[in-house]
Order: sequence, then structure tokens, then C-alpha cells
Amino acid sequence: MTEKISVRNLKFFYGATLALKGISIPLYANKVTAFIGPSGCGKSTLLRVLNRMYDLYPGQRAEGEVIFDGKNILEPGQDLNLLRARVGMVFQKPTPFPMTIYENIAFGLKLYENLSKSELDGRVEDALKRAALWTEVKDKLGANGLSLSGGQQQRLCIARTVAIRPEVILFDEPCSALDPISTAKIEELIDELKHDYTIAIVTHNMQQAARVSERTAFMYLGELIEFGETSKIFTAPSDPRTQDYITGRFG
Amino acid sequence: MSVSEHRVSLLAQSAADRAKVLVSMATGDRIFSTVTRVCAYGVLLLLAGIMLSLVIGAWPAIQAFGLEFLVTRRWAPQLDEPVLGALAPIYGTLLTSFIAMIIAVPFGLGVAIFLTELCPIPLRRPIRVAIELLAGVPSIIYGMWGFFVLGPFLAQHVEPAIVWAVQDIPVLNTIFGAEVISNISLFNASLILAIMILPFITAIAVDVFGTVPPVLKESAYGIGCTTWEVVKNVVIPFTRVGLVGGIMLALGRALGETMAVTFIIGNSFQIDGSIFSPGTTISAAIASEFAESSDVHRAALMYLGLLLFILTFIVLAAARLMLARLDKRAGA
Amino acid sequence: MAMSLCLAATVIGIVWLFLILFSLVWNGVPHLSLSTFIEQTPPPGEQDGGLANAIFGTLLMTVIGVGIGAPIGILAGTYLAEYGRYEKLSPTVRFINDILLSAPSIIIGLFIYGAVVVPMKHFSALAGSLALAVIVIPVVVRTTEDMLSLVPNTLREAASALGLPRAHVVWHVSYRAARSGIITGVLLAVARIAGETAPLLFTAFSNNFWSSNLLKPMASLPATINTFINTPDTNMKQLAWTGALLITVAVLTLNIAARALSNSKHDK
Repeated sequence: MTEKISVRNLKFFYGATLALKGISIPLYANKVTAFIGPSGCGKSTLLRVLNRMYDLYPGQRAEGEVIFDGKNILEPGQDLNLLRARVGMVFQKPTPFPMTIYENIAFGLKLYENLSKSELDGRVEDALKRAALWTEVKDKLGANGLSLSGGQQQRLCIARTVAIRPEVILFDEPCSALDPISTAKIEELIDELKHDYTIAIVTHNMQQAARVSERTAFMYLGELIEFGETSKIFTAPSDPRTQDYITGRFG
Repeated sequence: MSVSEHRVSLLAQSAADRAKVLVSMATGDRIFSTVTRVCAYGVLLLLAGIMLSLVIGAWPAIQAFGLEFLVTRRWAPQLDEPVLGALAPIYGTLLTSFIAMIIAVPFGLGVAIFLTELCPIPLRRPIRVAIELLAGVPSIIYGMWGFFVLGPFLAQHVEPAIVWAVQDIPVLNTIFGAEVISNISLFNASLILAIMILPFITAIAVDVFGTVPPVLKESAYGIGCTTWEVVKNVVIPFTRVGLVGGIMLALGRALGETMAVTFIIGNSFQIDGSIFSPGTTISAAIASEFAESSDVHRAALMYLGLLLFILTFIVLAAARLMLARLDKRAGA
Repeated sequence: MAMSLCLAATVIGIVWLFLILFSLVWNGVPHLSLSTFIEQTPPPGEQDGGLANAIFGTLLMTVIGVGIGAPIGILAGTYLAEYGRYEKLSPTVRFINDILLSAPSIIIGLFIYGAVVVPMKHFSALAGSLALAVIVIPVVVRTTEDMLSLVPNTLREAASALGLPRAHVVWHVSYRAARSGIITGVLLAVARIAGETAPLLFTAFSNNFWSSNLLKPMASLPATINTFINTPDTNMKQLAWTGALLITVAVLTLNIAARALSNSKHDK
């Protein structure tokens, strides 16, 4: 199994506060890795290191190594925009841009690639199909992205991410703002997407982690407590803290 | 080529293209970022430019009169050796702003309290909009209205009565005394200023009152407080700093206002202690005399402008610092 | 008791507005006619005449003032809200901008007099426009920054997560999300300068004839009103009232338009 991303001894600081205390973990290609743990355990922070989203803010810094296709992305002089184009991200709350459904997907594509109108249409359709949204929106591509329901908006965001053909997709609690039916659709989608992408998902919902992932990492207070096959983590965890968490004793 | 190999080559190709595109976009990003930075720092340059230009323009007068300028009462630009002093305009500026604040602050706060606590909800917006529109009316309109409408009205119907009523009371008969009552006076200018800053104070006070967490007010109403008690014991104490900041912002505006007062203040450089006498303010003096002035007279007007700028700068800076403190607390 | 005083204060406050508007309509409307818009400002002692050159001057100088001031203000506001949000110097820029926002406009007139009129050796419409631009800048900086700050950071993150450079995030996402707010700010700035008098008195000065030369003095409605108020000539006084009515209607319309625009956005 190839490691698409290897995190090695990663430390993360918010100002002087140490939020990740030396994490090492692999993300396997074409697999779904789930990150679980109580609020503030650092799972979202870890995700935001993988596309260096934290660089948008001052006072946040990472130490250690994150090897992505053989290169340490934490080294200075990285083209962060190229990195982010390769490592897509879907956020907790749906974030459609204030433009039409079509433009939401096309606008990134238009900037990156020189496509004809028909190629562009094709790519938009393809992305929407991959996000299982095509049948619902194909007759209203000109409608504002904000007019969709929450679940549709989230799938639009997934389509937007898929459209520019990343290699890794990070999901940061993608269903926490959604109803159960929309959640089920997104989970199905993640299951589909893993054939083409490497996926990491942060979730509060342990059933969700159990349903969608092959590997699960349990984090607590900035440390990686346990990492392994999802089935093992949920049936026979080796650490008592993992045991406590998955049985709902804290968190 | 298998499907997955095809995909990999596509990825590699698009990644290479994308890297190229991103490099070119990064250049654009740097340019845009630099341009915005230059514009932002330009704001600082603007301040420096204003100070510099005022100091340069005022320099001949600064050399000729020094700090004596501040305490000299005489303003005689027509002399061969002009004697120019800022005391009368400073007096007029401070006096008119002071009177205007005395009138406008209670009024403005009253309106704001009415709007936030008492007014039936459907009426709140229209009244608020009307008041805010009043704040947008150009100041020359106020000045003109004061000159043609308010001034004559006061001179005929109000001021004679006041002068008559206090004629035998010491002190008051100086403050409200007048040999001849004319349409133009310090008081008329103050009243126009008050009308002008009233909507301004109201608008700020409504915003400031809006920072009171509803739960605070609700719990006070919950224990049976009357509206007035809530305002007095919850709203005002909570917003005190912000209110003072807002009032100082209005004061800054009153101090520098030009067109609302120029017509009705009389442009007279005398200080006789009566608010029914004509007078002048710094900005009125500049507006009325600048175009016809020359040499040291013009420099003295620039000097006045410099003083006004420093004065308003201090008042406005204090106001902003207080408002910032309120924002911080409301945000926390 | 105290509460009835608040009510009284409100009633009186509203009454002022109507008194002023009433005087403007009462004195301004009777002389409003086509000739107001097509004839030029008259010399003393003549009958009739209009305000055509003053209206044109106000329009021209306002447009140039906004044309120069608004882009600078938008870019500076963009810096404060986007690139420079966490920079050390930004709070200072914000603070100074807030002070310039309320600085007396006559001071701006003196500044441009010293910086432009003196070197050029004569009054000019260009100097007037620059003075108005200086007034526009802080207004637009403030509203632009405020409006961009309302754009949720999650939207910026989402755009950055696609690999877009900040400039594209700003142009395609932030500006788009804040568009109506930024336009509102520009409209408010227009409303503010359309009636400004003090900064024009010693920059654009005024004249009594048609001129479109930016390097020469130019009439404007407020400066013309200012001159006409102080004459004993009744015809000129009437024109001053008409001009005052026009300028007030224009400014109020702009204010209402700005408000309507920002509301239509909030309702969504």
C-alpha cells in the first residue's frame, strides 16, 4: 500500500500554544482515513496542516515533516497554491461562492486551464456527476449556488473541489451541518471518491467514521493515541482512552 | 493505456500546466498586493501631506506671531504691519461648539432612547431613516436655512424676549445682552450647529445602545424595572465610554463645521461675552477671508487652519479610542 | 416623565427635518424651470438666468473626485481587510483613516490649496476634484473594509483551498460577496461630496460662465449658492434657493439609493 502522505513528528503551534505534540501518521493512497477525538484534540488542526491552510493566519506554525509524493510540504519556498490545488478541502459548513452553480465549478477551472466552452461544460457536468448532484441541478445551472439546500450546497462544494482534479481531498466534518439524508448521500459519495482520490475525513460522528473509513486515527489533547484499521479501532482498541471515547464515556 | 494510467498522465500534464499558470498568477497577486498596500499607506501620507502643507502655508505667520497668536485678541489685517491674533476665532469656535453640544446632546440621546426603548417597532425604521437623512443634508443647506429662516425668526420673536427678561440680572445680562439684535450672532450659529449635529449624535447613540446585550436588558425588565430604570441603570452605564466617544465625534464635527455657521455668525473678531453678539469661528474666518487675503494675512488663516486641525485631531483621536474600547467590550 | 421628554425630543427632531425641507420646497420650487438647467448663472442686477454651468461643474468635479478617490479607497480598504488584516501598521492606518473621515472639510480645502493651487498658481477644477477625492478616500476605505470584513473567512478559506492566489480570492469571491456594500459606500461618498462647499472655495473657486477646462476655475452648485446667498440681489437669492433644493434632492436621493441597495442585500 503506498503512502500518499506521511506525517512525521508534526508539531503545531498557535502562538506559544502547542496544539499538536509530535504526530506521525500515514495517509494511504485511495483509502479513507478518519480522524476522531473530542473537540480540541487537534484533528482539524492536523487537517489544516495538510494543505497549509494555517498559512492564511499569523502566529500559526508547524514543525516536523509532511511528505507528500516525496517532498516535504512544510519546507519554505513551497508553491502553496499549487499544493492546495492538489490537496482539496471540503469544509464543515457548505461554502458556495456567491455566484451561479455553473460558475461555482467553472471559475476555478477557467483560471487554471485553457478550456473551450464545450470542454468546460463537459468538465462541469463531470464534476457535478461525480458529486451526485447533476440530476438535481442540470436544469438550473444558472441559479445562485446559495439557493440550493444545505446538503446540495455541500455536494456543490465537493464538485467544485473534484473539478480541478486534486489528488487528495480533506473533509473537515463535512456533515455536521446536514440532516441524516444529506449525510447518507455525502457518505456514499466519499465511498465512490476513494477510488480516484486519497481521502482524509475529520468527524465527530463515530458511526460515520466506522462507515466510511478504512483507517481510523484517535486523537486526544494534541496527541495521536491510536491509529489502525477502522474495524480494529472500533472493536478491539488497544488503548483504554480509545475504548472510553468510542464507548461514549467522554467527549 | 489502462484507465488508471491514463488518469495519471492526465494528472501529471495538468499539474505541470497548472504550475505554470500559478506562477503567472502569483506575479499578478504580488502586484495587486503591493498596489493595495501603497494605497493603504497613502492614507498615512495624506495625513502627513495635510500637516506639511498647513505648516508650510502658515510658516510666515508662525514666524511673525509665534505662540502669541493664540492669545492675541486683535485681528487687523488691513494695517501696514498687520496684527493678527487667533483668540476671537478660538473663542467663537469653542463657544459655539459648547452651546451646540449642550443643546444637541440631551436631545440626541433622548431621541436615541426613544428609538431603542420606547418607539413602536414599525415606526422605528422610518424615524431612524428620517434622522439619518437629516444627517446627510449638506451643511450649506443648514447655513442657508439658518440665514434666511431661523436667524430672522429668532431675532424677531425669541431673542428680544430673553434680552428683556434678563436685563436686570447680573452676569446673565452680559451673556444674553445685546444692544442691537440682528439675524447674525454666536447663538444663532450655535443653534444651527446643534440642529446639524443632532441627527449625528442620535445615529451614533442608537448604534452604541445596540451593543448592550439584550439579555442584560431583559433580566432588568424581568425583575420589574421600568424603561427609565433600565436606561439609567443598564443601558447608559454599559455604554458610557462609547457614548462619550460618540459625543466627542460630534464635537469634532461641530468644531470644524464651516458652511453652517459662516453666514450667520457675522465674521466679527470681537469678544464681548454676549452670545447674542456677532462673532466668528476659525473655519468661518477662513471661509470668509481666505479668497481676498494675501501674504501674512493668508498665512495667518493657514495658521488658524493648522490650529483647527490639531484641535479636531485631538478630539477625534480621543473619540475613536473610546469607541474602540466599547467595540472591544461588545466583542468580548 | 423622562420618557415623555424623549418622545418630545424625537418629535422636535423630526419637525426640524420637515421645516428645512418645507423651506427648500417653498422657496426653491417656484423658480425651478427649464432655464434653471440650460441657462448660465447671471451677473448681479439681471433677471432670469439659470444654474447650468454650476450643475455641470458639480457633476464633473464629483465624477472626477469619485473616479480618483473611490479606487484608491477601495484598494486601501482591501489591504486593511485582506492582505494587511494582521499587519502591525494596519491599526494605525485604520485609526488615521477614521480621523480623516471626520476631519473638517475646510482643512482639506486648505491642503489642496497649498499642495495644488499654489504650485499651479491659479484655481482650477482639477484642484477642486482632488479636494473632493481626498474627502472620498476615507469614506470608501472605511465602508470597503467594513464590508469585506463581513465576508466570512470560511469563504476565503474555501477559495484558497482550491489553490487560488489571494488576488483571485479577493476579486472573485470577496469583492463579489461584498459588492453591494462597497457600491453603497461609494454612493454615500458621492452624496457626501456633492454638497461639499468649503473644500471648493479656494480650490475650484467659481465663475459665472460655461467652462469645461479642468485647469481653469469652475462653478459648482454649492459654491454658487455660497456666493448668491451673500448678495442683495433677489434674483440671485432665488437661484440660491433653487440650487439648494436641487442639491438636497440629489443628496437625499443618493442616500436613499445607497440605503435601498444595502437593504436589498441584507434581505437575501
